[in-house]
Amino acid sequence: MPTMTYLQAISDAMREEMRADERVFVMGEDIGVFGGAFKVTDGFIEEFGEARVMDTPLAESGIVGTAIGAAVEGLRPIAEMQFSDFISCGFDQLVNVAGKMYYRQGLSVNITVRLPSGGGFSGGPFHSQNPEAWFMHSPGLKVVAPSTAEDAKGLLIKAIRDPNPVVYMEHKHLYRRVKGDVPEGSYETDFSARVAREGTDLVVIAYGAMVHTALEATADIDGASVEVLDLRSLVPLDVDAILASARKCSKVVIVDEANQMCAAGAQVAAVIAEHAWEDLDGPVVRVATPDVPIPFSPTLEQAVLPQVDDVREAVRELLEY
Amino acid sequence: MPQMGVSVAEGTVVEWKKQVGDWVEADEVIASISTDKIDTDVEAPAAGRLEEILVQVGETVEVGTVLAHIATDAKPGEAHSSEGDSSSSSSEGTSEAAAALESAGEAGELQGDTAADHGSSVQEGAGRRSGGKRYSPVVMRMAAEHDIDLSRIEGSGRGGRVRKQDVLAYLENGGGAASDAPMHIESPYKPDEPAAPKKRKPRFDRADEPAAPAPAPAGSAPLSRMRQSIGRAMVESLRTAATCTTIVEADMSRVDVARRALGVTYLPIIARATIETLREFAALNATLEGENLTTYDGVHLGIAVSLGEGGLIVPVIRDSHELSVEGLAARIKDLAVRARKNELTPDEVRGGSFTITNPGGYGSIIATPVINQPQVAILDTEAVVKRPVVITDELGNDSIAIRHMTYLCMSWDHRALDGALAARFLRALADRLEAWPVS
Repeated sequence: MPTMTYLQAISDAMREEMRADERVFVMGEDIGVFGGAFKVTDGFIEEFGEARVMDTPLAESGIVGTAIGAAVEGLRPIAEMQFSDFISCGFDQLVNVAGKMYYRQGLSVNITVRLPSGGGFSGGPFHSQNPEAWFMHSPGLKVVAPSTAEDAKGLLIKAIRDPNPVVYMEHKHLYRRVKGDVPEGSYETDFSARVAREGTDLVVIAYGAMVHTALEATADIDGASVEVLDLRSLVPLDVDAILASARKCSKVVIVDEANQMCAAGAQVAAVIAEHAWEDLDGPVVRVATPDVPIPFSPTLEQAVLPQVDDVREAVRELLEY
Repeated sequence: MPQMGVSVAEGTVVEWKKQVGDWVEADEVIASISTDKIDTDVEAPAAGRLEEILVQVGETVEVGTVLAHIATDAKPGEAHSSEGDSSSSSSEGTSEAAAALESAGEAGELQGDTAADHGSSVQEGAGRRSGGKRYSPVVMRMAAEHDIDLSRIEGSGRGGRVRKQDVLAYLENGGGAASDAPMHIESPYKPDEPAAPKKRKPRFDRADEPAAPAPAPAGSAPLSRMRQSIGRAMVESLRTAATCTTIVEADMSRVDVARRALGVTYLPIIARATIETLREFAALNATLEGENLTTYDGVHLGIAVSLGEGGLIVPVIRDSHELSVEGLAARIKDLAVRARKNELTPDEVRGGSFTITNPGGYGSIIATPVINQPQVAILDTEAVVKRPVVITDELGNDSIAIRHMTYLCMSWDHRALDGALAARFLRALADRLEAWPVS
């Protein structure tokens, strides 16, 4: 089984699907000749040609809208936003057109919108956001956020094949930092949660880059047995897995890299409070980015984004409760 | 006389635990009182010296009547403040302490400026010491499930908080009360003793025993207040209602699987099924007073709880239709535990619209319960036993199988309904139980 980076796994997923299915094509800003801002589609234009690797104008609304039209006509477009932050320009097409098409007209909008998201590299307020909660709040869209190379490939293949519009959150900070064994060929990863580490005393629930923060923070914490649950999919949200972990461990810390207000973790906390109340042995604790834009300054950025020490401190506090 | 529930009008002093001149702490029990159904304690609303007892043992007085005076300006160990001054019961330092109890649930909060000035600091301190413990939901649930007195567990959490791990460790070390008697037994039929042919006994050896001597009385005493009260209610019910009993057989095999999966007894599932069925048969979820039949939208379910030899009590789960099986199990458990500790308030034993009684735990298989007036029916659930029964498959082939069977016995008031309806209700209930979801 080859070892790949998170970024290579994403490329590999698209390459597999494009080789297997002529309906699949990619479009986005500078993804063709230049190979993408992060080089995810490096070499694609040579292999698949300009017709299936389309460079587009700097117009997110147009990119998403074109993808929707192509999907309605039976194609399976993958639209790349150069940075997830820019999806706000394509918001209306994604939320109002793609998300509601099936409900209004019964038409499938089989698009995948790739959103390179997250901070941690001094990208500043326009290049570091985690906007997944916007789309969780919009019926008709699915939202997934892999944390490992293996899941990055499997979830993207599943997203490309899913008949619904899928927002695929790929974390920029993980692109070349995370490596792992990735099965060759084509496979789908279910839109469900994954226990990243088994434990019994407390569970940390996270997704995307925060899964790695959670694993590192709790690798050795006073001998406590800490479970880490990787949500992987935010819509659909794997409520069964969340409740199973919460009920088993009775103490829950939820980590979001997104701004705290109404983040994915807020929904997870609500589910637990409502359905696992009688199994809780302490307050549900959240660690998230405060409700401010992500600063450019490396020092300030570190102060704002949840760090390993922040998670460790929250876990330790709750363990002692 | 404290208001122990909105509908209680009067109470009787059963015992004074403190005498005039005794020092009492805030929240300390000073007297026992008795109302229609509940015997309970009166706690001192403030610290001080018991100065005067106004209601003697055996007297019955209205709610709100002052029972005693406590001098709140007295100090422990000092001479009785009223010594040499018999008029001090109306002096500034005396609070009409018991009167403070008039407002339900506010025991300990003194009325009147005088009392507050003198009593508040002592009282707050005592309140924090006695009632400060808080427990997390999972700890409370485990304590209820295993009937654990949490005050006996040393907490290892912050500030001595009892954590889930502490309860688990306590249980592992054999803590917790001996588990409750099961609500139902598996089967009253015991396997035969292995044959022992060498020591054959005569089949009827009792016949050879000498006739028993005339019984000598072991003692004689008036019935307890509770027995008298039960007796009056039962005779009154039989005199008032046209009591009939209908019995339907139910296959509990699916319920048996479901209850094991949930870790509950049969009772909460039967209760849930009864509630659902009552929603379809409003005529049974009713009370009949004189000529006036009242039916109810919600089900206020009475559950008979045995208090051992003392008698029984029927706490009511209000709006029981809003509860799941697990929710019902928890409420039944809670009510039973508190009933046995004498901690129910009178309002928790009133206002039922239907009652379930559950003597099957002792092995009985059929009974004819007495209707809990003014309700129109009472369901009696009996032991679930394994019996060979004839099962017919979808092709009409018969076979004999061992199934978990029970009799659902319901007494109903022929003034309010007829036998056909009672039978239809029971059959619907049995159908519901026989199709109970297993997962």
